[in-house]
Amino acid sequence: MSFIFNHFIKFIAGVGEALFFLLDVVKYIILGRIRWSEVLKQIFEQGIQSVVIICLTSMASGAVLALQSYVMLNRFGSKELVAQLVALSLVRELSPVFSSFVFTGKVGARITAELGTMKVNDQLTATRAMGVDPVEFLVVPRMVACFLVLPGLVVLSEVVGIWGGYMVGVYSAGISSSTYIHQTLSAVGMVDFFSGFTKTFLFALLISWVACYQGFKTSGGSLGVGQYTTKAVALSYILVVVSNVFVTKIILVFWG
Amino acid sequence: MIKVNKLFKQFGSQVVLNEISFEIKPGELLVILGESGSGKSVLLQHLIGLIKPDHGVVEIEGRDITKLRESDLLRVRRDMGYLFQDGALYDFMTVYENAAFPLREHTRLKRKDIKTKVLDILKMVDLKGAEGKFPSQLSGGMRKRAALARAVIMDSKILFCDEPTSGLDPIKSRNIMDLINTIVRKLKCTTVIASHDIINSLRIADRLILIRQGQIVAAGTPAELRSSKDAYLQEFFN
Repeated sequence: MSFIFNHFIKFIAGVGEALFFLLDVVKYIILGRIRWSEVLKQIFEQGIQSVVIICLTSMASGAVLALQSYVMLNRFGSKELVAQLVALSLVRELSPVFSSFVFTGKVGARITAELGTMKVNDQLTATRAMGVDPVEFLVVPRMVACFLVLPGLVVLSEVVGIWGGYMVGVYSAGISSSTYIHQTLSAVGMVDFFSGFTKTFLFALLISWVACYQGFKTSGGSLGVGQYTTKAVALSYILVVVSNVFVTKIILVFWG
Repeated sequence: MIKVNKLFKQFGSQVVLNEISFEIKPGELLVILGESGSGKSVLLQHLIGLIKPDHGVVEIEGRDITKLRESDLLRVRRDMGYLFQDGALYDFMTVYENAAFPLREHTRLKRKDIKTKVLDILKMVDLKGAEGKFPSQLSGGMRKRAALARAVIMDSKILFCDEPTSGLDPIKSRNIMDLINTIVRKLKCTTVIASHDIINSLRIADRLILIRQGQIVAAGTPAELRSSKDAYLQEFFN
């Protein structure tokens, strides 16, 4: 019983510590102490490095979605609806979630490994010793960059995914190009777009928060860097999936 | 003036610093000697406020830094330099950028003036020509010298050095200790070095203290310690 109690206390303390870490970041953002040159550097690194992988996964997702939905919809003689199904699925749900997964694996892992290595090599302590807060210098730019990059990547993912679906729909399923485009544009309204797009800000916050915090917590040399990076990625996946359920429910209540 | 009074620190059940008290005069070069794990580095980190003691006082220029919040400590540390055991240079910055970092952060110097100052200090630590290299491209000795340049670039009033000779061969150890000695005498800065390098410490220190199991077991000038009849001191020195 005391074992469970101790773990519970430890969990609560950990959550509290992570919240204080986030508050520290928010404090610097509110005070306007954002190093924009660092943010731009991070945007470049996070964005450019993720573009290719996001495009590849999104195009594949869109194409597979079109292939599968064509098989089913063709049985009911409504293969034109493939365009709507692909577009709506991607915009409302698949692109925000899949892109967040890819972003976690690519950028979140990189942030944790980077900060974790700096932690075990005393570079974070050295930053404090030089009179600079490592949260302001290293965390704020990374989190702000994530907050700006992920939504952009999600939009890119939606466009490329729809294009992947288009290729299958037009060249494999025999839907005319104009029908496919018309069906897509008529299916996706602003509500659909924003119901998916809004989530990405929450996902960006969760992914960057977890990645930075785990990096700062890293201990135990190179072995520790690997362990904390894996932990950050796993935790981010869980948080994205679980938070998606709640935020989708809320969005459906308000926007339908 | 740095004044340490009854400093006590415990990690779990292990007492690392046990009511340690001593003083360091302005401009003095003090070496803290001790075996590995004797608490030298922990003591050094207390002096710059990186670790809070369980109780006790660390006064710097009459101000007890153990009572300060982290935001105030960050300001206090701008006047101090800290040389880490492995240099702790930013591996994503070049030697030049590492050395320029404190100036960029804490001064309003123009880019041209920063360049002049950085190149001067890199010349002083014999790293002329290595400005564009990354820490991973440097040898152990070069990394320590680059870290030393970064530690003193703000013309720090106080310099802390944690095991500056660890991992270096005897010749490089002598060179880095001589370099520290030359620079701190030139800058007239108060210096505290944690080391287990007895030969070089005795050569450059104004005063030394020997720590064992979290307590000071001997203190004095190099001549006084050399002539001491204390059994542990003799064993340590020999």
